[in-house]
Amino acid sequence: MADLLDNLLLGFAVALSLKNLALCFLGVLIGSLIGVLPGVGPVATIAMLLPLTFGIDPVGALIMLSGIYYGAQYGGSTTAILVNIPGEATAVVTTLDGHQMAKQGRAGIALGIAAIGSFIAGTFSTLLIAALGEPLSSVALLFGFADYFSLMVLGLMFAVVLARGSLPKAIAMILLGVLMSTVGTDLETAQDRLTFGVPEFADGFEFAVVAMGVFGFAEVLKNLEAPEAREVVKARIGRLLPGPSELRQSAGPIARGTLVGSVLGVLPGNGAVLGPFASYMLEKRLAADPSRFGAGAIEGVAGPESANNAGAQTSFIPLLTLGIPPNAVMALMIGAMMIHSIIPGPQIITKQPELFWGMVAAMWIGNLMLLIINLPLVGLWVRLLKVPYRLMFPAIVLFCCIGIYSLNNSAFDVEMVAAFGLFGYVLLKLGFEPAPLLLGLVLGRLMEEKLRQALLISRGDFMTFLDRPISATLLAATALVIVLAALPAVRRGREDAFQG
Amino acid sequence: MPLTAPQPTARTPRRTPKSPQDFAAGLFLLALAAIGFFGSLGLDFGRLSSIGPGFMPRTVALLVAAFGLLLLVQSFLWQGSRLERWSLRGPVFVLGAALLFAWTIRPLGLLVAGPLAVLVAAAADPRSRPLEVLIFAVVLTAASIALFSVLLGLPIPVWPPALDRWL
Repeated sequence: MADLLDNLLLGFAVALSLKNLALCFLGVLIGSLIGVLPGVGPVATIAMLLPLTFGIDPVGALIMLSGIYYGAQYGGSTTAILVNIPGEATAVVTTLDGHQMAKQGRAGIALGIAAIGSFIAGTFSTLLIAALGEPLSSVALLFGFADYFSLMVLGLMFAVVLARGSLPKAIAMILLGVLMSTVGTDLETAQDRLTFGVPEFADGFEFAVVAMGVFGFAEVLKNLEAPEAREVVKARIGRLLPGPSELRQSAGPIARGTLVGSVLGVLPGNGAVLGPFASYMLEKRLAADPSRFGAGAIEGVAGPESANNAGAQTSFIPLLTLGIPPNAVMALMIGAMMIHSIIPGPQIITKQPELFWGMVAAMWIGNLMLLIINLPLVGLWVRLLKVPYRLMFPAIVLFCCIGIYSLNNSAFDVEMVAAFGLFGYVLLKLGFEPAPLLLGLVLGRLMEEKLRQALLISRGDFMTFLDRPISATLLAATALVIVLAALPAVRRGREDAFQG
Repeated sequence: MPLTAPQPTARTPRRTPKSPQDFAAGLFLLALAAIGFFGSLGLDFGRLSSIGPGFMPRTVALLVAAFGLLLLVQSFLWQGSRLERWSLRGPVFVLGAALLFAWTIRPLGLLVAGPLAVLVAAAADPRSRPLEVLIFAVVLTAASIALFSVLLGLPIPVWPPALDRWL
């Protein structure tokens, strides 16, 4: 316990430096902005802004980038409440009751309770990361090659179950991602693989480029086809601070949402996206009068928003302790670490304590900033939401181009973004989800490496994956996930949850 | 994604897929798997105890192909989504804008590549207004030069490098 305090003090000493405070503020501000604007997600933004972090030290860079991520998760709810469009995918649930509250002239209270719930969830999950960081990294040090491989298999399987749409298509996307990850020079034999004579392919597909193409550009193409009817709520925003009775009503949902979100966020394979749905269903089931849900129940905002923020924070745990990214944003974080030659994994916490604890402390400070800056900024967000998409998307295109060009000063990368934009558009039209593809791409190389090493040690015996207790447990969990996902009841629940 | 209403089965002949979207998706996967498989044929497969560079690409390509086949079979068995309409205007102008940016940034700099990308991208939306877009393109370019080049000092060319010799 004393250790934890010492470590947190170290973290705050790092995070409270003027420069890091400024970077944290910048991060949550940009994050809120893109969270509010529908059609610009954190993946594209972070990919776009990676070059900006070249000149900053690694701690500051990661503080800023993570601020963008949880800031975006938070900002997404503002749009969900005011416009009935989720600013981010995870805010879908908030549109149900949040927008109803706004129509009743209680937009301010919905925004206020979302902010308070998010802050409480953020505080709790920050403490959770601080408490779990060290024990988990020492467990991670016990992991052998086979265990890592099995953990990644489990993560990918989760990603499949959590993707929308058909299971075979989601699995195919994972496999395609892994196939794409084999492009480039083979690390052991230095032979060119699938490069088809293009010298630029020798380093493989850059993750930021693929992410920008299939998320940034394909998203623009999709939005252009479905002209959105953006109707900012006409009713008064009303007072922002909830009264005592509303706070009492929300206390339970916030506590439960925080717990649900924190647990799901740790799961590999982007469990964080499930948090808001799970919390909403839980609150509806617990409610004395479930019919209020969908008609402006404050519990339907407080719970999911807390779960959302908690999950966004705890999804840093697999990245920081195991070096395995649970979602596309975390994969970009790995990219940012690599730029500064930090190898993500269990050794970070012991070898670079100021990085780990600085990030943890900055998360809490960032959450406090979100609480303080966002309520006064509501007026600005409302005005921003009135900017028509016809002006927004050319700006997105230009910034994407500049960002990707600056990543390696390479015009070829910009051409590749265009190619992957087309690829992403085709995927959308064929009903494929891009998220599992990106996870497969990012984990593919690591999986191949671990598979090779594990089989080398076992002399080609596949039983090594079942003989080792950690690996066997993880594979059993994977099998369980597959079976559960195939059960008719769960399948129906999954379809319901993703209807938004 | 809007689910299209199930088509009446009586009118569709027996041999056409009931889910055109899945059918196309299956073909798409098969094509990519073929590229992966045949593209890596020249690489050593290795043995299980020492996997060669060809192991992953070929194994995974076969798995992708298997799912492609599964989707093809499925598309004949179960009713599914119709293929959505593909628009040409959006992809041509938006992706064209990125390509033009890629081709002009080195020789001509951001002063030319910036407005060009904005103008071409804006043409993707029929609701764009010419004058508005023109002003916006100039403002955006000025803002990005100020932000990326001046403020952040990224080494992105601003004006045509050829001009350097004249200045």
